[in-house]
Amino acid sequence: MRPFVAAASGLVLAVLLVLAITAFGAPEGTTSPKPLLTTAPPAPGK
Amino acid sequence: MRRRASLVLLALAVFCAALAPLLRWYAYPRLAKIPPNQYQEVVLEAKDATLIDYLDGMKPKKVDKVTIVQTLKGDVEASKEIEASAGRDVVVWDTLSHVIGPDGKMVSQIPERYIFDAHTQDPVHATGEMVDGDAVKREGIEFKWPFFTEPRDYLYFDAQTRTSSPIHYVGPRTFKGMDVYYFEQTVPWTKVPMPKKMPIEGIDPTTLEQTTGTTLWYTTKAMFWVDPVTGAPVNAEQQIQQEMRGGFAAAAPDGKITAFAGHVKMREDYSDHTVELVRSNRTKVLALHTYAPAGLAAGGLVFLGLALWLEARSRRPPDAGDRGDRGDGRGRGDGALSA
Repeated sequence: MRPFVAAASGLVLAVLLVLAITAFGAPEGTTSPKPLLTTAPPAPGK
Repeated sequence: MRRRASLVLLALAVFCAALAPLLRWYAYPRLAKIPPNQYQEVVLEAKDATLIDYLDGMKPKKVDKVTIVQTLKGDVEASKEIEASAGRDVVVWDTLSHVIGPDGKMVSQIPERYIFDAHTQDPVHATGEMVDGDAVKREGIEFKWPFFTEPRDYLYFDAQTRTSSPIHYVGPRTFKGMDVYYFEQTVPWTKVPMPKKMPIEGIDPTTLEQTTGTTLWYTTKAMFWVDPVTGAPVNAEQQIQQEMRGGFAAAAPDGKITAFAGHVKMREDYSDHTVELVRSNRTKVLALHTYAPAGLAAGGLVFLGLALWLEARSRRPPDAGDRGDRGDGRGRGDGALSA
């Protein structure tokens, strides 16, 4: 009986973890305040 | 004690074995997507190009360099609005291709709004989708390939012609140490709309064709080196030719004037920057898609092996040697059984 309980708890933990990760998802953030460029920057990100 | 440890190991084995496929086939398809708030710029250059001089008799001239600054900005609020009606994760990119002549002045400018599925890169048609103010309905991809790009032809949207045509998979290549797929698309001579912003004094580019009969024609060979994991191009080049035909160009030899001719390449520092960025994103995608599931599956097997091994040891009957070692009449097996 105890091996079944151990296996079931491992399975439940895995399912809960994946559900939590996917429900949380990646942060969407906000629209960048930087403008669309009309001059060539001297270097990337500058 | 050993039996308790073997039960913990069994729980860990099942946890890892269950998590591996769940990550790969449940979490990955939901989490792998283009973030809606992306901001990226890239500078491309055409050295020794030919460019029409609009202010000096509309004559084509050889110039040292023409620069194209492309900026891409994700509009998070617009993507949320479209997501609400589309019922899927959507990305809205506002882009600007700003062309600068050798004197630093604007040659032309083309804004775009590109709306697509954040997971598959399939175009999403919604109000606001446009190229240079003209409403369009894209087919296929633009700017980026899907995650885990396949070695096959794709339909690629060309902003100048506002049409999609196949971009052919040519073969694998190595670019700055990265294994990539190389694609090529040739757009034959096509009449295209005049850019709405051009430095022609006293003439509205949008009515140039109607007022003078002058038309703009364009052909290109576009080349992309694409990281197959992220689907992001690590390098892009374009051989572009643009001609004015008819109208004021009719008096020129052959009845046409070269408006632009050049081989556009990514500036070296942006090329290096793009490779680094794609390499970093590639690791993140592979971690979720391959490394973590494979590692968890292997971990599950190891934990299961350990659990079985401990269980087998705990069930082994005590031998004489053990009793002698302990000196108290209890062997290793007794300890496990009593746990």
